Amino acid sequence: MSREALLNKTFVELADTLVEDFDIVELLTNLAGRCVEVFDVDAAGLMLVAPSGDLRVIASSSPAMHVLEMFEIQAQQGPCPDCYRTGLPVHVARLAGEPDRWPTFAPEAIAAGFGSVIALPLRRRGSTIGALNLFRHAEGDLPDDDIAAAQAFADIATIGLLNRKVADDAATVNKQLNEALTSRVVIEQAKGMVAERTETSVDLAFDRLRKHARRRNRLLADVAREIVDGTLSPLELDAV
Amino acid sequence: MASKQLRDLVATLPNDGDLALRGLTAGCAEVVGVTGSGIMLMTDDVQRGSLRTSDDVSATIEDLQFEFEEGPCVDAYHQQHAILEPDLEAPKSPRWSAFTPAALTAGVRAIFGFPLTVGEIRLGSLNLYRDEPGALRGEQEADALRVADLIAIEMLSLQAEAESGEVAAALSSDGDLQDRVHQACGIVAVQLEIRPDRALRMLRAYSVGTGKRLRAVADAVVDHTLRLGLSGTPSRAHDDETRSDHES
Repeated sequence: MSREALLNKTFVELADTLVEDFDIVELLTNLAGRCVEVFDVDAAGLMLVAPSGDLRVIASSSPAMHVLEMFEIQAQQGPCPDCYRTGLPVHVARLAGEPDRWPTFAPEAIAAGFGSVIALPLRRRGSTIGALNLFRHAEGDLPDDDIAAAQAFADIATIGLLNRKVADDAATVNKQLNEALTSRVVIEQAKGMVAERTETSVDLAFDRLRKHARRRNRLLADVAREIVDGTLSPLELDAV
Repeated sequence: MASKQLRDLVATLPNDGDLALRGLTAGCAEVVGVTGSGIMLMTDDVQRGSLRTSDDVSATIEDLQFEFEEGPCVDAYHQQHAILEPDLEAPKSPRWSAFTPAALTAGVRAIFGFPLTVGEIRLGSLNLYRDEPGALRGEQEADALRVADLIAIEMLSLQAEAESGEVAAALSSDGDLQDRVHQACGIVAVQLEIRPDRALRMLRAYSVGTGKRLRAVADAVVDHTLRLGLSGTPSRAHDDETRSDHES
């Protein structure tokens, strides 16, 4: 498969995953794996901010210890925390040139065989919730197109993360929305019926419905439904 | 892949859900490269009106689809895929016999509907239109689909925060849920001793039969300048002046 085709396939897969039942860790692990397949990188992982403010690894392209350690070591220091704090991408084409920036992380990464590193923010609505981390054995930066594609991967991952809860509750929320919209229609219909039957304006009819419901401690929508059903006559409503 | 414009739009959305939805609906026309946008709200196969429109033409498009119960958004909702009509004046296969001439009169030349869904949940459709004919490019269509997904998710997120039994204010405040039409249904129901849902069918039929906009018909019913008979035609108007207004 061509690189472009693989890129497109990844986008489609990611987009599909977001609207089906999905396991977020599986989604992010697949995403990390795809980064290694699609781009000229040797390891990839995603880090998310924990309630404590530290970053935690949530997905890695490889379960190898030397890779996982690269993320573990970045709880407070490294390209991911820098990226998370600033909300901006961090590109380091030559790790050997940054001994002062990350005194713990840089030597460990070099010892693990990595020459360069990139961290891209997981951004949503102006806030950053973590970073996508790409490691290369070689020194040098990735082409701009690859950076843009990797950032798009990160954006999709972010949407997936933040919408997990929405997806879980979707059916319930949809049912409530549907009921609320139906109630709204019934209330408007009842306003028209009361206005016509009692020869008043729709605004005054609404007042009568509302006061009738309030005095009986009932829901306006229920009173309106009885008017529309014919079980309550507009003439039986309290006078305003 | 999402275009740079779409990525920029998403990256700059505000934290507040209502403002994020506004940002998406306001920004999507420019990102996709169309004249205007609108959101048709539809749940349980019932058209609910529009949630937000970017301009008068988009508002008219939503009105027409509510009135005639047909159009690209209605099809997108039922068929669950994008409905693309790049040349409304000379379509490859004619459709929407009532909607099309009225939309052309309103200045619509190309129109596109995208379903708003979250998983199995269907919330309506995103409507995009152009004032000149022209198909969407591949990237524009891909952007429109992603914007539709984002809008659907924001809609559900906002409704999740609403009071029980209420429609989220962010979903009802800027839109047009056709309240006036439903009031008119109540009035006609009392006048003709029929159910309000039958009254809605009659109002729609009267609107189609006379070529008057449903909105104007509803206003006339509420103002008592129009009274429908059971045949769906006016049985009487209050005076000759209003009769000539509504029957000429």
